[in-house]
Amino acid sequence: MGRDYGVPVPVGYRQTTAGRIGVVLRWIALVIGAVLFLLPFYLLVRNGLATQGELSARDWSLFPRSLHWSNFADVFDSDEVPLLRSLWNSVVVAVLQTVGQVFLCSLAGYGLARIPYRHANKVLYAVIASLMVPTAVTFVPSFVVVSSLGWISDLRGLVVPGLFSALNVFLFRQYFLDFPVELEEAGRLDGLNRWGVFWRVVVPNCGGFFAAIAVIDFIGSWNQFLWPLIIGQDESSWTVQVALSTLLSSQNPKINLLFAAAAVSILPIVLVFVVLQRYLVRGVTETGLRG
Amino acid sequence: MKGTTRAFWLFVGPFLIGLALFTFVPIGWSAYLSLFEARNTVTPTVFLGLKNYADMLTDDAFLRSLGTFLAFAVFIVPLTFVLSLALAMAVNQIGVARAFFRSVFFLPFACSYVVASLVWKMSLFSGVETGVANKVLAVFGGDPIAWTGTVDPPWYWLVLVTARLWLQLGFYMILFIAALQRIPDHLYEAAWTDGASPGWQTFRYITWPQLRGATVAVLTLNLINAFQAFDEFYNILGDSRGYPPFARPPLVYLYYTSLGSGGQDLGRGSAGAMILTVIIAAVTLLQGRVFRFGRA
Amino acid sequence: MAAQHSRRSFLTLAGMLTAGSALAACGSNTGRGGSGDTTLHQWYHAYGEDGVQAAVKRYAAAYRGGHVEVQWNPGDYDSKILTALQSSAIPDVFEAQVKLDWVRQKQVVPLDDLLGDAKADFVPELLKSQTVDGHLYGIPQAIDTQVLFYRPSLLQAAKITPPTTVDELVEATKALTKDGVKGLFAGNDGGVSVLMGPLLWSAGLDYLNADNTAVGFDDPRAAAAFGKLRDINKSGGLLLGSPTDWSDPGAFTSKRVAMQWTGLWNLPKIQEALGDDIGVLPFPAMDASGKPSVPVGAYSAMVNARSGNVDAAKAFVKWLWVDQVQDQVEFATAFGAHLPARASLSAKAPKLQSGVGAQVVKFVADGGKIASPAWWSARSNTALSDAVARIAREGANPTQETQKALEVAKAELARARG
Repeated sequence: MGRDYGVPVPVGYRQTTAGRIGVVLRWIALVIGAVLFLLPFYLLVRNGLATQGELSARDWSLFPRSLHWSNFADVFDSDEVPLLRSLWNSVVVAVLQTVGQVFLCSLAGYGLARIPYRHANKVLYAVIASLMVPTAVTFVPSFVVVSSLGWISDLRGLVVPGLFSALNVFLFRQYFLDFPVELEEAGRLDGLNRWGVFWRVVVPNCGGFFAAIAVIDFIGSWNQFLWPLIIGQDESSWTVQVALSTLLSSQNPKINLLFAAAAVSILPIVLVFVVLQRYLVRGVTETGLRG
Repeated sequence: MKGTTRAFWLFVGPFLIGLALFTFVPIGWSAYLSLFEARNTVTPTVFLGLKNYADMLTDDAFLRSLGTFLAFAVFIVPLTFVLSLALAMAVNQIGVARAFFRSVFFLPFACSYVVASLVWKMSLFSGVETGVANKVLAVFGGDPIAWTGTVDPPWYWLVLVTARLWLQLGFYMILFIAALQRIPDHLYEAAWTDGASPGWQTFRYITWPQLRGATVAVLTLNLINAFQAFDEFYNILGDSRGYPPFARPPLVYLYYTSLGSGGQDLGRGSAGAMILTVIIAAVTLLQGRVFRFGRA
Repeated sequence: MAAQHSRRSFLTLAGMLTAGSALAACGSNTGRGGSGDTTLHQWYHAYGEDGVQAAVKRYAAAYRGGHVEVQWNPGDYDSKILTALQSSAIPDVFEAQVKLDWVRQKQVVPLDDLLGDAKADFVPELLKSQTVDGHLYGIPQAIDTQVLFYRPSLLQAAKITPPTTVDELVEATKALTKDGVKGLFAGNDGGVSVLMGPLLWSAGLDYLNADNTAVGFDDPRAAAAFGKLRDINKSGGLLLGSPTDWSDPGAFTSKRVAMQWTGLWNLPKIQEALGDDIGVLPFPAMDASGKPSVPVGAYSAMVNARSGNVDAAKAFVKWLWVDQVQDQVEFATAFGAHLPARASLSAKAPKLQSGVGAQVVKFVADGGKIASPAWWSARSNTALSDAVARIAREGANPTQETQKALEVAKAELARARG
């Protein structure tokens, strides 16, 4: 019995009949579940490698007869939507938003956790109150504000409004509350001011937490749809999600290319997932259980 | 003391300015617009008082959109809860390949709703005989079903609910796994000593009570996310001509009312947004009462 | 009702096309010598025919009065245009059908001065449809129409004649459904968005009356007409869930259906796939007081009032859609099948001189109806299509649902009338 088992069982239980049946059932369920969960990814790639005709043919089957890798070249050449440009936009938006969010929100979270300003509590309440208003419900008025700033179809309109996540501030604050004060005091003794303590002492000791929040922010930013849909009027400002959705609701979609484009669009995020899963799991846990 | 104030604003100020500009100002502006006739304009002149609110609260389509949310929540919340807990328990209790299974179930979380909608609409639940679901039906001798287009019975719910389950189960599973791993071993050991058998009894008397915090978090997040449903509805049911009048959740309806082909009516759209905000705040507070929110 | 027919009939068009009249077309004075470094953004919806996108880009590239960026917009184009007009200086030039609200909110600019001598060459009904309060806001690019395509061989096999009433259409939908082939395809939404207008017209009704003073379907027969779409949806013969929608000929050319309601613009693709086994019909009449009809869409070039370069945009519109006659001919006829918006171009549309094309020209002349009148607001349209969807797809009570839409439409009209 090891601690890495979430629900431990007594020593020797797995050798009993009930234990064995449990194990077998669990394996069957997990394998079926895994196949079902991987199927959509498989379809994405499988259909992305098919011809348009094959996809609408009556004898479409789960396993392709031939693979058309040229689809992936065609999809970048297609002038139906500027896929390459939209991928680039997504990269820029996701990177800027992740960096900006982590920067602004960690500062604010630290200020709220550690600086004994008289009205800090009132500010904290304002932040928490804004958590109750889901950003998705404020998309109409936010659109109004952004449009009066002249930021429609503009990178600023895509990035800036998403930088101020009250949830992130709250998470950072909770985390910094638990940060050992002794370390900070040692920093102050070394002659650092608050700004210096934050950057030289706190941030270097919280790398894992910062990474966790950043990964969550990056995925959220890459996958967001409603806001870029509203702001990205001109195709030069489409993100990859908007470009895909546009193709999907098109009157005459080239379905195979659509799948190929979608497969390309999830590639960066799958890489992030595979490489940084440890932080992602932590980020999810922090966001979900503390927020 | 003056230094403290300065430092505080140095740290918190930039964020607060943004929060004010992109959260509080929009809410205020929206409240303002909701009192005016604001069609095709954000600087209206005709004051209507509460007429937009009266309009929305008697608007069949808006009320139906709230009903759609309720219907969706009734499916998605319990299903997500039970399945993600089951996945967490199953993944957590196997020794070999645990990391593999956890990754597989968690992977869809990284996928966008747009991409999932594409796979669901065009391949898994495509209406012609080439769709995977229809292939399966054909094995049992069934005729192809137009999954997203059939209203009676409303098969489109199957498409929408399974898409969301696939996308979010992994997220909630991770939460449950984290909570499971926080349960101290000695509780289980004590239970065995008292004669509880592994399986149902330990789950009922040890695991389940210990998961209370995670349970509240999962239900709350799930409900709020369901309320904000937009992406998969828009991409699965919408087409180049707009959106059908059924399975139209509140945000989709507001989108079409304010910014889409439903009339560019920011006055009514804002009134609707204000009503939704009040509903969400009320639900959150009520839930806080019930579950003692704000444990932090 | 009689006045309505005459107002929106396209008899003039028939005359022009058959006579192939050669009214003086303007010369091709290319280039306006405007400021060379302005960039104009021009938007089109996504035409399904291969080659259109390349062609319009080619036209734009040939313009010497400035740089023109063409944006192709697959997807929900109407929503996109509405949002853009409300807030954005982009696009400068776009195609759409003028809406009263745009004019009242001064979102589009009048283009009266662009036509010059060419005015007499345009189909008068089209110009009228793009005119509000006495000013012209869009230069018609071409005429789109939709018809019911069917395969005569399958009708013969089922021993039925082409439907001439809506009831016969319902019957044909049922009768033609066999051997894995469905009777009819009219879009994945069960025909709601494309058959809504034709159903009204089939009962001799319309969205609005002739002079836009009253709602045109304040009549119990509207509910009856929409009820027919319920019958079609219930018949078991309507194809749903096709990978391509009504605007694409895919369902018809892949022989999944015996009849499809789709755009005339798909004629070349359909002929290529099915050869001579093609028949066309207008949407039939419901009863004696209705008439067979086809919708007439007139995407027209318009200029965004928020554009930073209104004059340059107007100059470009004049250059492309008034002066560049050769491009206009190619645009209308070379890729799909559209009816030209100008009389002098009709002789250059060989696809429309005989056979199926000529039949459709006659449908337009006899029963062409403006598909999207300027005074018919977006909100009214949403209310009505919601009602029709609920009737046809969910089986809601036709009278009650139609009544609800009627009230919205009346309120909208009252608002527009001030």
